[in-house]
Amino acid sequence: MSPQEQRLEVDGFEVRYWESGQGRPVIMLDPTGLRETVLHDALAKNYQVVTLELPGTGDSPHNAASESIADLALTAAKAAASITPEKYTLVGTSFGASVALWQAIQSPEQVEALILISPMSINPQHRPAITSAESAHRVLFAHLENANKRVPLSQSIYDQESELSRRLGVGIHDGAVEARLKDIHCPTLAIFGQEDHFVTPEAPRVYREKIPNCNIALVYDAGHCIVGDRPEALVNTIVDYAEQWETFIIGHQSGVINP
Amino acid sequence: MKASMFAGMGYSQRATFPSTWPVSPVHADPETSVQSYREGMDECQLAEEMGFDWLSFSEHHYSGRIATGTPAVMASAVAERCKKIKIALLGHLLPLNNPVRVAEELALLDNLTNGRLVAGFLRGTPNEDQVYTMNPSEGRGRLLEGMDLILKALTEPEPFSWEGRYYQFRTVAVWPRLVQQPLPQVVVGTRSDDTVRYAAEHRLGLGVSFLPVEETAKITDKYRAWCEESGWTPGPDHIVYRGSIYVAETDELANQWFEGLMQSRPEPNIPMRRTVAEAIQAARTGNVFDLRGVVAGSPEGDVVGNSLGINFLGGPDTVAKQIKEFHDRCGVGVIDMPFQQNKVNHKAVLEEIELFGREVIPQIREFK
Repeated sequence: MSPQEQRLEVDGFEVRYWESGQGRPVIMLDPTGLRETVLHDALAKNYQVVTLELPGTGDSPHNAASESIADLALTAAKAAASITPEKYTLVGTSFGASVALWQAIQSPEQVEALILISPMSINPQHRPAITSAESAHRVLFAHLENANKRVPLSQSIYDQESELSRRLGVGIHDGAVEARLKDIHCPTLAIFGQEDHFVTPEAPRVYREKIPNCNIALVYDAGHCIVGDRPEALVNTIVDYAEQWETFIIGHQSGVINP
Repeated sequence: MKASMFAGMGYSQRATFPSTWPVSPVHADPETSVQSYREGMDECQLAEEMGFDWLSFSEHHYSGRIATGTPAVMASAVAERCKKIKIALLGHLLPLNNPVRVAEELALLDNLTNGRLVAGFLRGTPNEDQVYTMNPSEGRGRLLEGMDLILKALTEPEPFSWEGRYYQFRTVAVWPRLVQQPLPQVVVGTRSDDTVRYAAEHRLGLGVSFLPVEETAKITDKYRAWCEESGWTPGPDHIVYRGSIYVAETDELANQWFEGLMQSRPEPNIPMRRTVAEAIQAARTGNVFDLRGVVAGSPEGDVVGNSLGINFLGGPDTVAKQIKEFHDRCGVGVIDMPFQQNKVNHKAVLEEIELFGREVIPQIREFK
């Protein structure tokens, strides 16, 4: 069943969200809303999955109210709490991962497990100024042919999200969140594309070092937009982690060829 | 310029092998085998004494011609006898191996040798695709991913999981850490554009084997151009050429040996049944192989293989000039040579190593 679009009021914002599936709740923070459904759909086979459109991203109105990423995370936590009273697995992608980190720090009573896809809060890579949606789109992928399969954000959405990102400090090293990583006690997975040029190669290990229960996953031949370059690998890793948390490292595939 | 001896560790009676690959293990007499490895190690020791810079070991399977299926085991044994020379694994056949295991072997060797390791990555010759029943069409993809994974495994100080196309490891944490930081010299052995470009973009060395000088130059020219594109200039040690050699006291003696060899109608290198050779090639290139379309060969087996050739042949001055061509035309800084040629026995190999060290190495040292 395709995800159902719904809306709720929180902190003065009208927040859109899409919901499908049944089971333990999974909240996804994707700055592109539900433009990409492959991960949502895969998780919805076993979970109640809710993808939130963060205020100021996607097709939502301009967000001039949130003063910081932590502030936006409080709004996201309130939205999630109004959708489900249960603890949930929180999945954040890129900008959404920056918000998810703060959400896990500020609302630990809500977050059962944390999955960060291409997070940029720690040691982001300096990138030359990119001004158009199309040029920004191309650098997200390891392979141009994968970029060409997808339509870039419209220039107006890109401009709005860029303004919000600049104002909130997305893409700048977040020293405050780094100092609080030790306070994240839920099982955490941080997953990076091996060709992600938005963070330094040293960034992943900081999460592993500082979050008490953190696994790092590197997706070969994928850029910042892992779902665009290696969707099967991303889905496989996250579905495994959502189900098994830190025990996802244990192999269950049979090696028997002819019993 | 530097000299490297390719330590083939061949079985001493290899000239008596039948023309097949694989060679049946029935031909390996344990006593002769043990003696052969001892002789091979003596050759390594002499090479070190004569001023060679590297000893190289290469993964080859199912034959006593080059008897190092597990090159890291051989290299570690030699490293205990040869205490100063660089130990070059040139190299592991990555498509066949677990890359994490390769990283562990390399890291351990770098520690055992206290930082004398040179690492090399290869796809392997078509016959090697059969060794662990790998699909030949996946060889290139496995090589490229394997290199990425090994480099990451050797340099990443925190455990990570790897979600690849061909490899999935949910925990990678290679011990021990390398002595040479951030990496030892790494050589990618290849003739293919995509892997040459990979070496250039990752600031790795390039190894080319057995091609004539002009064909080698086409590859090294591309490599150097792609290095420049990637913002760096390779140094002399970055380009390694492996070529077969027979050096004698004079050109005349060397030519006599070669003529004698040709008159004895030597068997081709890596001989395989034609059907198998063509099926592997078809699988590598994504073509269909129609077994029924192949005319049956002789009852003994229709055998194909590479013809025997010698890259460096002559007296010391001639060989030095031949090597200089590779240096001048291709930018080769390390020359890697197997002295264990067909029908050259251990005593003769020792004489060649001694002669090369005495007469040729002083000359190639001047190639700068």
